[in-house]
Amino acid sequence: MDYEIGNDIEKVLIDAPAIKVRLAELGKQIAADYTGKELLMVGILRGAAVFYADLARLIPLPLHMNFMAVSSYGQGSESSGAVRIYYDLNEDIKGRDVLIVEDIVDTGLTLKYLSETLSARKPASLKTCCLLDKPARRKVDFTPDYIGFTVPDEFIIGYGIDYAEMYRNLPYIGVLKRTVYEK
Amino acid sequence: MLSDLAKIFITEEALQKRIKELAGQINRDYKGGELVMICVLRGAIMFYADLLRNIDMKVVTAYIAVSSYAGTESSGAIRLQYDLDEDIRGKDVLIVEDIIDSGGTIKYLLNSLMLRKPNSVKTCCLLDKPARRKTDYTPDYTGFVIEDEFVVGYGLDYNEKYRNLNVVGVLKKEIYA
Repeated sequence: MDYEIGNDIEKVLIDAPAIKVRLAELGKQIAADYTGKELLMVGILRGAAVFYADLARLIPLPLHMNFMAVSSYGQGSESSGAVRIYYDLNEDIKGRDVLIVEDIVDTGLTLKYLSETLSARKPASLKTCCLLDKPARRKVDFTPDYIGFTVPDEFIIGYGIDYAEMYRNLPYIGVLKRTVYEK
Repeated sequence: MLSDLAKIFITEEALQKRIKELAGQINRDYKGGELVMICVLRGAIMFYADLLRNIDMKVVTAYIAVSSYAGTESSGAIRLQYDLDEDIRGKDVLIVEDIIDSGGTIKYLLNSLMLRKPNSVKTCCLLDKPARRKTDYTPDYTGFVIEDEFVVGYGLDYNEKYRNLNVVGVLKKEIYA
């Protein structure tokens, strides 16, 4: 598809077929780890929505699907670390197996905060699954249990991930042109 | 999970083909514009993700969660669990829903969003079950018009199961009867 907004892209980092291949592997791994269990997959809005929908259908288990919406304060390329929960889980997770599905872990602050928040509700188990890991930006010690791709410290958008609410609908993961976010 | 289905109603290929057609229509209708696409949680998530990646314009994604009050299925009373994070005043808005049966939820949402004075609001629905309609309503974009059967999969659940199936299927009677 010939995206007009594709003009803002420096390069395609991970194309749609490569995403699909990796998600199938992740789906298999998660299905093997949770066989016989009723997994509750919690998608973190808005960034993880596309990843979440694609991953869920590759896990051949009776999944429970639910969502939380969180946002770092401030907009743009630097996340401050403080997280606000706009929409909390509307069900009890006590005694359940929970998997948090997030788009990207950079500083680690958001996922650490979410993990601690949900752990306090006493689930049977709590793991995290991240499409992208950007270890170069880590500020706190945090390693997701499942990682799609480890990426360099570049300005990444697409496949659910935005810059100023744009580019989420790109079907691939790309790097944004510097001129777009520095103007 | 597939073994709980009496039959596959809409295959993965048919779903994806139809979604591409819908996206093409939406791309033409809003050409050059900017669209706020609202996903109605949780049922529409699969449809929404697949539709979104085929939309070729500036899109702001947004989510809304609704639920019917327990035991009042037919009364049409809807509770907004999670409201939009942003102002839609002056914007072109597209509500993306999984299924329209009685029409109560979509009509409620439409009325509620219209009060916020958007430039336009349209609705896009994967499945339309007109046999169940209790109020006069036709979505602007419809994926498939279906008979009054118990459908699950591709976001639609029965007791919170089957949402992650990549097809729309009809559930076996012994599962829910």
